[in-house]
Amino acid sequence: MRKLLTGAMGRTLAAALTAGAVALSAGSGQAADPRSELMDKFQAATEGKTIAWVPIWLGVLESEWTRVMKSNFEDHGINFVVRDPNFKSDIQLQAVSTLINEKPDILIVQNPTTTLLARELKRAMREGIKVIQVNMASNTLTDAYVGADVPRMGRMLAQEAIDTCGGGKGSGKVAILQGEATAAYSLDMTVAATELLESDASMSVVSSQPVNWDANKASEITTNVLQQNPDLCAILSVWGPQTAGAAQAVKNAGLQGKVNIFVASDGQPADCEMVEKGLYTKNLSYTADRQANQIVAAALALLQDDRPAGSAQYAFYTTNYWVSGPEDREYCFAASN
Amino acid sequence: MRRLWYRISPQLLIGELLEKRWMEPAVPFLLMCAIFLAFVVAIPDYGSIQQLQQLMRSFPEQALVAMAMALSILSGGIDLSVGAVFAMANFIALYLAMVLELPVSVAFAGALAWGALIGAANGGLIAYAKTRPFLTTMVVLIVVRAFYELVTVAYATDLASAYVDNAAWDFVGIGDLLGVPVNMVCLLAVAFAAHFFLTRVKPGVHIMAVGSSRKAARHAGINVRLSLFLAYVLSGMLASFAGFLYAARQNSAGTDTGVGWEVNALAAAVVGGISLAGGRGSTSRALIGAAIIFLLINGLVQLGTHGSLTTASIGFLLLLAVGFNVKFVKHKSKILQKIYVSPTLVDFTPPPSIARDSGTVFAENDRLLDVEPIALGKIEGPEDVILDRNDNLYTVNRNGSIIRFLAPDYEIREEFARIGGRPLGLAMDKDENILACVAGMGVYGVRPDRSVFKVTDETTRSRFRLKDDSRLLLADDLDVAPDGRIFFSDASTRYDLADWALDGFEGRGNGRLVCHDPRSGKTSTVLKNLAFPNGVCVAHDGQSVYWVSTWLCRIYRYWIDGPRKGALEVLVDNLPGFPDNINRASDGTYWLALVGLRSPVYDLAMADPSFRVRMVKQIPPDEWLCPGINYGCVLKFNDKGEILESLWDPGATNHPTITSMREHKGYLYIGGLENNRIGRLPLPDADPGWTSWDSYYGDGTTPAAVTAPAPARKAG
Repeated sequence: MRKLLTGAMGRTLAAALTAGAVALSAGSGQAADPRSELMDKFQAATEGKTIAWVPIWLGVLESEWTRVMKSNFEDHGINFVVRDPNFKSDIQLQAVSTLINEKPDILIVQNPTTTLLARELKRAMREGIKVIQVNMASNTLTDAYVGADVPRMGRMLAQEAIDTCGGGKGSGKVAILQGEATAAYSLDMTVAATELLESDASMSVVSSQPVNWDANKASEITTNVLQQNPDLCAILSVWGPQTAGAAQAVKNAGLQGKVNIFVASDGQPADCEMVEKGLYTKNLSYTADRQANQIVAAALALLQDDRPAGSAQYAFYTTNYWVSGPEDREYCFAASN
Repeated sequence: MRRLWYRISPQLLIGELLEKRWMEPAVPFLLMCAIFLAFVVAIPDYGSIQQLQQLMRSFPEQALVAMAMALSILSGGIDLSVGAVFAMANFIALYLAMVLELPVSVAFAGALAWGALIGAANGGLIAYAKTRPFLTTMVVLIVVRAFYELVTVAYATDLASAYVDNAAWDFVGIGDLLGVPVNMVCLLAVAFAAHFFLTRVKPGVHIMAVGSSRKAARHAGINVRLSLFLAYVLSGMLASFAGFLYAARQNSAGTDTGVGWEVNALAAAVVGGISLAGGRGSTSRALIGAAIIFLLINGLVQLGTHGSLTTASIGFLLLLAVGFNVKFVKHKSKILQKIYVSPTLVDFTPPPSIARDSGTVFAENDRLLDVEPIALGKIEGPEDVILDRNDNLYTVNRNGSIIRFLAPDYEIREEFARIGGRPLGLAMDKDENILACVAGMGVYGVRPDRSVFKVTDETTRSRFRLKDDSRLLLADDLDVAPDGRIFFSDASTRYDLADWALDGFEGRGNGRLVCHDPRSGKTSTVLKNLAFPNGVCVAHDGQSVYWVSTWLCRIYRYWIDGPRKGALEVLVDNLPGFPDNINRASDGTYWLALVGLRSPVYDLAMADPSFRVRMVKQIPPDEWLCPGINYGCVLKFNDKGEILESLWDPGATNHPTITSMREHKGYLYIGGLENNRIGRLPLPDADPGWTSWDSYYGDGTTPAAVTAPAPARKAG
């Protein structure tokens, strides 16, 4: 919030300066100030444009993205449209298809699977709409991808597990909790983590199952895994909220502290709380709030890019931060509403 | 003004509208239109071509799954497995087409085979092992769903990275025919086929019959088990067809695919007005219901509504719609009953007196007191009687038969022919076939060899009327013109025989005079909007037809030939009773039966339509003020419209409700709608050789066979 305020103040200041400069230049009859020209160009490229955003639903993560995008875009006079399919992939496809017909300038999507929107995103670019994919990519490459370097997150989790459990320090048994099996974020992270784990002879992946972002399902699966492998050393989970169920199952089995839980997540407040309570061992946060600012940056860049849709394939990989205690609160965003 | 209001009563329109079967889904249909229009107003470009195409592309799979659900409900069960079957078919199609890269036709066949297989499992269990549909399909839902999750996880990586450029696949998924998306074309084709199947094709109609009443269907000889089995197989195939289309369009097998679709499909069926009890509904209603849900979700998402709000508002609207629909369907018949009867204004002037000492031609007398009863207790409801040239007596009964009593003593009773329905007026044609008006059926004939034939059962349908009045609802009396044309009355197009009193309350021109021409085989309405046209008789000169309006108490003359052909005139107005059949008399005049008598209070009621509306709405039928038909008489009139004499049976002990009389060789035979006898009265002044047939077809000479009939023994 503070950052936003300073940004806004800065802009006001800049605007005041430009106004002064314009007044000066008008008075002296000299060429326009290059800085005010920049502002004019920026405004011409952005003002009155429409950016449409279709998340999977408006959960905590998506709401944070939406909040940041909304405040930034509105500040620039950009028309911001949100469509909430409420976790229904058929409705999300409908929403995207409809939006393509409405021809916004930029379409931002979060893909529930790699395939669902792939074809429509291609069509969108053919229709001249620039497409940004957020954190969960599809099989189609579009103008920009903003999100985590997912395989790297997988490797970071796996490395943490190896460091904790491998080489005789633990049983070496690891369970992986995937999200949605066909979602890029889950798929790519699982593949990368598995690859690294398998490269270490002391490690073994005893279970790798999708829990569909659902804490209840994660709880069930973890309970089963723990029954079969009481000596489980680590659980790798691709996302925070679903992991709460797994942590609960571990606690119920009386194994809290013995089973290490490494989570990759977006930095929603609950993730940090879980770490602080000792329910998660470590949380790898890609800081959704900061990521959202990168989405805004990508959108602004694309708006100012005169080339047609599909020309560029920018990637804005976000930085990941380990959260291991209260001192790392800054890597979790504040709960909105 | 008041008269006009009652004549063109809008109530009439609403009543007939409600009676239509297609009115049942009217509420959901209007709701669907209202939702669509609301979004057209609320969302810019919602009605644009592109947007419509998008809607059409997104809709079909849900609609097909709703149809699958509807089919199982119509069969009297339920298929909860549709969502899971759909999801699995989606996976199978994707796997075959995208991972194994087989042709689209193989994917299609694979998906459908899957649907048929699960349908057969459902159907086999439900129809043959007699398990309960709800539990059976729920178990199948759980098993299939679990299987689906297993395989999607197993092939997750393959599916996630599969991306094949297959033109045929893309054509099914995103192609269109003349601007209409391919899957929508498929949906329309399937919907039409399903509708045709369920309403016109034997196995389909059997499914509906089984759904309506399993017991009745079994008694009707329908293979109930096979029908049920078929219903579930088709349901499975519809769901899997949806899965195939979905696969081609979405290219995605997510964990949420098909989750909760059975609930949406069920909601669609209910919102569309399909009865969960089975047997009532149609595929179109499933489509309407599915469209309502689809449009709601789609529109709310486009309005940028928060997902949880979308779900909540849909739940709320569904509740409203279902509640309203249930109420509407439940009360429709009651509403109909309340507003269907639409009385009109009838102004009567006081009739001539019938008092014994009044000195009028209608004055009560005792001339029918000594009528000799024939067939006492052997006949029920001889509405009309007729005699052949050999003096055998024919009459009708309430069981749908033509009964013959053999001359000379009429002791021997035999069922001459069985037609069905409720035969009323009789006539005889040149070939001595007996022609009968049959209420609920039309005009039928019986040849002397007893074979029954249909003369006609329909006439031209009137234009600009909602109700299909081409069928003859209440054919009442008939006569044959010299050229062979048969003129008959269809007393009401709004009420059948059992509800004649309601027609009377209306006093409206619901009936018509119809002509059947045997030369062309054509039947056409010659006069319409007649208030209960009843007796019909061709005049002695063959140039006109006399017919009576029972509720208006009038005799009309309609010219069918000669210089005045086509003209209609009132011959006698303001009769003291309700006229019924007319027949020729031997002296060149006509006999007329008065089935009942007017009363001042009923005349008053006829002048006050709102009173009759209140009466029909507010009090039970057995307390209604009905036209009195317990007591009548026989009149005689001539071509000039003069009433010549009247014959009374005081107290109506012998002959209440006189509906007809027929003169034959010096005797008058009297029939009555509710009577248990036929009366015979000697006519001392009549021509003893005269027969009706000769009057119509004879050459003027008395046939040789004629001898005066022996008097029948007096019974009792």
